[in-house]
Amino acid sequence: MNNRRFARTAGWLVLAGAVAAGVLAWYVTRQPASPFEQQPAAKADPALVSRGEYVARVSDCVACHSLPGKTPFAGGLEMATPLGAIHATNITPDRNTGIGAYTAADFDRAVRHGVAPGGRRLYPAMPYPSYAKLSDDDMRALYAFFMQGVEPANQPNIESSIPWPLNMRWPIALWNGVFAPNATYAAKPAQDALWNRGAYIVQGPGHCGSCHTPRGLAFNERALDESGAPYLAGALLDGWYAPSLRQDHNTGLGRWSEDEIVRFLKTGRNQHAVVYGSMTEAFNNSTQFMSDEDLNAIARYLKSLPGDPQRDGSPWQYQAATARADTPGAHTYATRCASCHGLDGKGQPEWMPPLAGATSALAKENASAINITLNGSQRIVTAGVPDAYRMPAFREQLSDAEIAQVLTYVRGTWGNNGGAVDAAAVNTLRGHTDPASSSPIILHMR
Amino acid sequence: MQLRINQKAYEVDADADTPLLWVIRDDLGLTGTKYGCGLAQCGACSVLVDGNVVRSCVTPVAGVVGREITTIEAIEADDVGKRVVAAWVEHQVAQCGYCQSGQVMAATALLKHTPAPSDAQIEAAMVNLCRCGTYNAIRTAVHDLAKERV
Amino acid sequence: MSTPKAFFDAPLSEPVNLSRRHFLASTAVGALVIGFGLPLGSARVYAATANPTERGTQVPAFLEIRPDGSVRLLSPFMEGGQGTHTAMAQIVGEELDADPATFIVEAAPPGEAYVVMENGMRITGGSMSVRMSYPTMRRLGALARAMLLQAGAEQLGVPVAQLTTQPGRVVHAASGRSLGYGELAGRALDMPVPDPATITLRDPSQFRWIGKPVKRLDAYDKSTGKAQYSIDIKVDGMLHAAVQHAPRLGMTVGSLRNQAQVEAMKGVHSVHQLPGAVAVVAERWWHAKRAVEALQVEWLEAAADSTVRAMPADFSSDKYRDFLAAQQGPARDDENEGDVAGALANAKTKVEATYHNQYVNHAQLEPPSALARFNPDGTLEVWLPNQAPDMFRADMAKRTGLDPAKITLHSPLLGGFFGRHFLYDSANPYPQAIALAKAVGRPVKLIWSREEEFLRDVLRPVAVVKFRAALDAQGLPLAIEAVSATEGPSEAIAGKQGEKLDPTALEGLSGKSYAIPNKRIAQIYVKGPTMLGYWRSVGNSLNDFFYEAFLDELADKGGHDPYELRLHLLRDNKRLTTLLQAVGELSGGWKRGPYTAEDGSRRARGVAMASPFGSHAAVVAEVSIENGQVKVHHIWEAIDSGSIVNPAIIEAQVNGAVALGLSQTLLEEAVYVDGKPRARNYDLYPILPMSRMAQVHVKIVESGEKMGGIGEPPLPAVAPAVANAVAHLTGQRIRSLPLSRYTFA
Repeated sequence: MNNRRFARTAGWLVLAGAVAAGVLAWYVTRQPASPFEQQPAAKADPALVSRGEYVARVSDCVACHSLPGKTPFAGGLEMATPLGAIHATNITPDRNTGIGAYTAADFDRAVRHGVAPGGRRLYPAMPYPSYAKLSDDDMRALYAFFMQGVEPANQPNIESSIPWPLNMRWPIALWNGVFAPNATYAAKPAQDALWNRGAYIVQGPGHCGSCHTPRGLAFNERALDESGAPYLAGALLDGWYAPSLRQDHNTGLGRWSEDEIVRFLKTGRNQHAVVYGSMTEAFNNSTQFMSDEDLNAIARYLKSLPGDPQRDGSPWQYQAATARADTPGAHTYATRCASCHGLDGKGQPEWMPPLAGATSALAKENASAINITLNGSQRIVTAGVPDAYRMPAFREQLSDAEIAQVLTYVRGTWGNNGGAVDAAAVNTLRGHTDPASSSPIILHMR
Repeated sequence: MQLRINQKAYEVDADADTPLLWVIRDDLGLTGTKYGCGLAQCGACSVLVDGNVVRSCVTPVAGVVGREITTIEAIEADDVGKRVVAAWVEHQVAQCGYCQSGQVMAATALLKHTPAPSDAQIEAAMVNLCRCGTYNAIRTAVHDLAKERV
Repeated sequence: MSTPKAFFDAPLSEPVNLSRRHFLASTAVGALVIGFGLPLGSARVYAATANPTERGTQVPAFLEIRPDGSVRLLSPFMEGGQGTHTAMAQIVGEELDADPATFIVEAAPPGEAYVVMENGMRITGGSMSVRMSYPTMRRLGALARAMLLQAGAEQLGVPVAQLTTQPGRVVHAASGRSLGYGELAGRALDMPVPDPATITLRDPSQFRWIGKPVKRLDAYDKSTGKAQYSIDIKVDGMLHAAVQHAPRLGMTVGSLRNQAQVEAMKGVHSVHQLPGAVAVVAERWWHAKRAVEALQVEWLEAAADSTVRAMPADFSSDKYRDFLAAQQGPARDDENEGDVAGALANAKTKVEATYHNQYVNHAQLEPPSALARFNPDGTLEVWLPNQAPDMFRADMAKRTGLDPAKITLHSPLLGGFFGRHFLYDSANPYPQAIALAKAVGRPVKLIWSREEEFLRDVLRPVAVVKFRAALDAQGLPLAIEAVSATEGPSEAIAGKQGEKLDPTALEGLSGKSYAIPNKRIAQIYVKGPTMLGYWRSVGNSLNDFFYEAFLDELADKGGHDPYELRLHLLRDNKRLTTLLQAVGELSGGWKRGPYTAEDGSRRARGVAMASPFGSHAAVVAEVSIENGQVKVHHIWEAIDSGSIVNPAIIEAQVNGAVALGLSQTLLEEAVYVDGKPRARNYDLYPILPMSRMAQVHVKIVESGEKMGGIGEPPLPAVAPAVANAVAHLTGQRIRSLPLSRYTFA
């Protein structure tokens, strides 16, 4: 079972059921306007297709619409919800089972507005509230890529297992009316081109907020750009805590330079951290393929988002552990963790990340710390080469209590102050998660 | 890069991220340190770095430049190590022997830090895996070494 | 490297005064003569094997006595930790009159001369090495001693009758003169081997080394990293190789997406496609391993005519267990005595239960490796861990088309085996190593990473056993029936069920000694999708668990104490009664509990017995529940192998068998999901750590009966003894393994 998108969709479906009673039918079935309405179908030039492939990389379409070892973009990724499973669809240009019959306007309405031909609303597991910001140029390129750069695959979509009436999609239109923007990214004249480019990628195709921005009661992202304080302030999703990407000293990117942000997104690692959890997929499939210029832009933009000292707490400083603590957690750390992460918690940069000062040890939310300990890390594949070192899974070796003890030690040593972990929290995540595969997973786009 | 292993300097031409284990085994021919899992799970690759036991399969070689590395080949040059080997022979610990280089290193490191470990301390420190089941012999040998000190 | 001719023609008196260290090192590069004077392929050798009385009489093939008096023995058996090399030195040394401490023991090459087992085989397995060769190896030592005496008589010019030996010396008491074996070896080994019929063996009451806790010969080398395993061997010009196996057996390589990129990676020599695998050859193994992991392979589903057992994409070990449980037959009887059906039909009390076990891996610490080298003269040399050199060489000959005489097989120490190093199609690295060495024209050492090993290791079989039993009015077992839906390892390797039942499928259900008048033991043969193999103590490792745990159910149902019930059922079996009483005494007198121990923990004990591999074992286990997990505090084990060679090694073997027995009882399980093993390393396949080891107390009972095995027999009774203790302590019946699948309050 893949529960990666669990939270992203769960709230949606609850809401859909709740408001299913009575609304304006014309509103919920109308077709949004598209600037591509009258555009004739024409064969795009290869440069446009290639540009579209890059946009698809930045937008990470492959993460959901492809399965390892299967035809690219033929769909199939299962997303579990409490109401039933939904599956990512076939977006190859196959005319019968894919999107081969889509006009540019159909494609535009689906990607930027979450509306399929015929007015059927997509589940917002598809991050169209972010994609809404994609420029017309990028949309044109993306369409060219999917029509001409992707092999058609005849693979029928898997129907969702959500029962009626909860499977009715029209209430989503109401949600869209409230929470989904319908304007493309507008450059901020006060900022330079690099910043604006970064803002565009982060808010639009990169859809960073899908994971990193906390969500409201309606499962809406609480902010969609830097104008809202919650924007990219860290969020819990699918058993991982996606940390703040703002300038929070402890739990965000406050201690990272622009170069270090670039390095992280390009190589998967820097002296502060190594990608793990859901970020491994984002790195493997998307960020490492971005141009240096775009990565610089992202870094520039992220560095402009102020932190919140109140939320973040007093700035972390390394404190040497005075003596080897004689607790079960300290013993477990010394024997299970220290070979890689060091008795001093400093890791072996850039190969094994430090735990001293790590976000996972400073954030109040402990899901990431528990999850990575239980399940280990997915393989990080950089430029086609799988990582030299990976984090093992400890779920079969350490009990809930032992994991709680060792994480309590990690989160309370070397100046870390994330707080204790209790065994019940470990137990809950144990039941909801699976160990990471030790085999590299590579999703191809062609 | 230059490594100091068993009191000798070695000039090594290896990628920075190569595990120390494979530098020791394949480049330097010191095969007493064993490959078992490559994942810091079994401990067969244990060596000492500045007197602490470290799993060389997860130690990027660039990180140990300038530090004092001891492998099983030189363990008898160490006072504690020599006594550990003698105890291992006395108690006939080894069966297939594949994990024992690592076990000896782990015991040496333990006794350097904790000359008279309790049963719980032995259990907490000696987490190297042994498929032959020599655990009781190991425990007895370490206890004996602890007694010698007292 | 000597040609084979030079090998065997090397003069006996050639100075061989090499230090042991030098010796091992040079063996590693294949530069040293072995078995000089060995007339391989000669009529005489074949005659020897044709006639059992001449087995193991080719003294020069086995022994080399060096000028310094040290004795090099080529052992027909592999040393994998079980101590067989030390035992061979004790046995041969006893009759040769040479202290085992002066021995250097190595594995002999393939060859008829080394077929010394009384069943006409040469394998290291089935706990057979010592028990099947004991008289032969004694005679070998005695023959060598006779030759030394004869040589001494010639050299000293005295009648042989006036000579005796002391350890390592021929002595002429009358003149006070003596000669060391080293001084006589050249002459002695030129002598004709005496007629075995003229040899008198030493009176066992006079044994100095047999039956004594002689120190292992390999203890020091193994404590200092000096012992060499296959994975350590290096030859000149050698390249390293790593493989990526198909995710499911049977799949084949379709295309490589990024071959050029991988070929350009640092250190890469070449990229290769192999049956069901891709390989990278490189100057260093680390480079080969990273490069082969980077290869993006399009794997094709197994073809219909696939010669290997293709793993289905939807295979799930949990679902397969349900599938086995649903099998209705037909079943074939292995044992059928009395009238089981009648007894069941008329029973006052009937008991039924279904048991099952789990797949397990070998998980030996040394990952598989193989080094292959083609020599300029067209011969092939291979170094690899193996338990049956002749079978392996024959297989290599078949695969390469080479005459077996052109293949030299070296068998270094095994870094653990537990049944892993038999000839398993698809689970051995040497076919790949040979193919790669041939392809690149240089020696290639292939190491399987731990992940690749877990993907291809053969599994210990699973079985679902349905028991039915009838109790009489006194609550005593009147009938027992066990029908096992399973596939034994031997029939799995053969690919089909044979004319006779596979004994490795049912051993441990069959062959029990309890006096139950009506019994039926039967198998429903179910050919499964997994590659199966032998795992320490083989069928007994699961079947004794089933039987002995069910026997406790019968005891409880019939209102009898399980220890007393066993004594009752063995009342006419003096040997097993003695054994059961011995383990009772060893544990301080049988008490089942539950009781509160000094540390405040609530504990109970369980008992179980097993009779595997010609020996008999009885176990008492003491358990408690600690933080929801089973804690095994003590294992008391009494073992009767008839007679013994080395009590210290036996005690170590019992410890080892207990460890593996506890491991499979408490936590081990190979889980398959979607046709793939969930665990590819020890992180998801934990094996018993020290913290979960029990204290082990051993009592060796020497009944004087025919010698039995030692390596495996102590294992099977461990699981049921623990399960019975846990069941009694918690009130929860334990009908499956491992216990980590249960929840205990």
